[in-house]
Amino acid sequence: MSERDFHPLVKQLLDGDITIADLPAELRAEGEEALRLLAAVDRSSVELPAVPERVMRTLVRAPKHSRPWLLAPALAAAAALVIWLGRPEPVATPAAAIVTVRFVLTAPDAHDVTVAGTFNQWDSHATPLVRIGANGLWTATITLPAGQHQYAFVVDGARWVPDPAAPAVDDGFGRRNSVLTL
Amino acid sequence: MLTVLALPLALLAMQQGIADRLAGRVSPDIAALVGELGTAAAARGLPIDPLIQKAIEGSAKGIPFERVATAVRLVAMQLDTAAGALRNGGLAADTAAIAAGAFAITAGLSGRDIAQLARSGAQVPEVTVGLRVAGTLVALGVPPSETVALVTATLQSGRPAGELLALPGLVQAQMAKGVRPAQAAAGLARAAAAQGRRGPPPARPQPPPHPEPPPRP
Repeated sequence: MSERDFHPLVKQLLDGDITIADLPAELRAEGEEALRLLAAVDRSSVELPAVPERVMRTLVRAPKHSRPWLLAPALAAAAALVIWLGRPEPVATPAAAIVTVRFVLTAPDAHDVTVAGTFNQWDSHATPLVRIGANGLWTATITLPAGQHQYAFVVDGARWVPDPAAPAVDDGFGRRNSVLTL
Repeated sequence: MLTVLALPLALLAMQQGIADRLAGRVSPDIAALVGELGTAAAARGLPIDPLIQKAIEGSAKGIPFERVATAVRLVAMQLDTAAGALRNGGLAADTAAIAAGAFAITAGLSGRDIAQLARSGAQVPEVTVGLRVAGTLVALGVPPSETVALVTATLQSGRPAGELLALPGLVQAQMAKGVRPAQAAAGLARAAAAQGRRGPPPARPQPPPHPEPPPRP
């Protein structure tokens, strides 16, 4: 990637705010070059060996319960119904893999970029991206369970930006969430 | 009598569980609404996680109460639609499949599309992955009809569910070459259908097992 800065409209293109068709004709070449550079970043997912999965299963193993036979029948019936209604949702199948994913955003003017989504309770402080070099490229590599995740980048703590390189859906609030299916 | 006593306890426990997950993340008004909708949804066999996630997302994005409430109610409706569609498709779906169906509806698929995918003959875990992939394909710009055709053909080809997950990347690779999303999906669907007619690919030959170590003297 060159050291030069992109035109502000091209930066908006990289942020996903506009499409290449919205750029004036004289900026299309620059926009296409910026998108090519972004696409050249290796964002392929990597499946980790089984050891971390075993570790995760150990971590999420249910704690041992106390002696239920000491409970009165009425409480046992109540507990059974509570367990039925409050049963945990299968977030992933038992054999689900743990996948390492790299998030990438080009945001040359940003001072701070994070990624927030269903995997971190939409916490805009939980997963910061690291700036790489002087080209405005930000990346973060995190491990996620197999399944479907929605996310967005948060630029400078305020601007929610979809991933320009990922499919996106309506978030119900007039914006777009990026989609990651692992 | 026991059930009469147990039911309010169960509902209270459910609401408390939702309140715990939302504590400190959303306003009390939103927490109360999600508690009410979530308890009712769980009683209908629906997943509650999508409701909780949408409430947290709205609050994290600074969305006003009314719009968050509308979005959470919309998610509840989408879950109901997905569950009904899966039932119509003859599938005894679990909460993961229903959540995947609701996501597919968010992306642009209809209840009829979901029922059609449920009728593919695949098992619930494969249909669940198929619904997630279908939603992702629609989000990429593949029209629903081509999406359903592609995912159904792949499900029926007998190939492992992992190959479903490769479909969005394959469509994106074609799009990068200038192929329209619908064309890319149609081409992949034809290939999957041909694969289905030929039967599943032969299993890879397994390496010979490690020889037993010689007995120690």
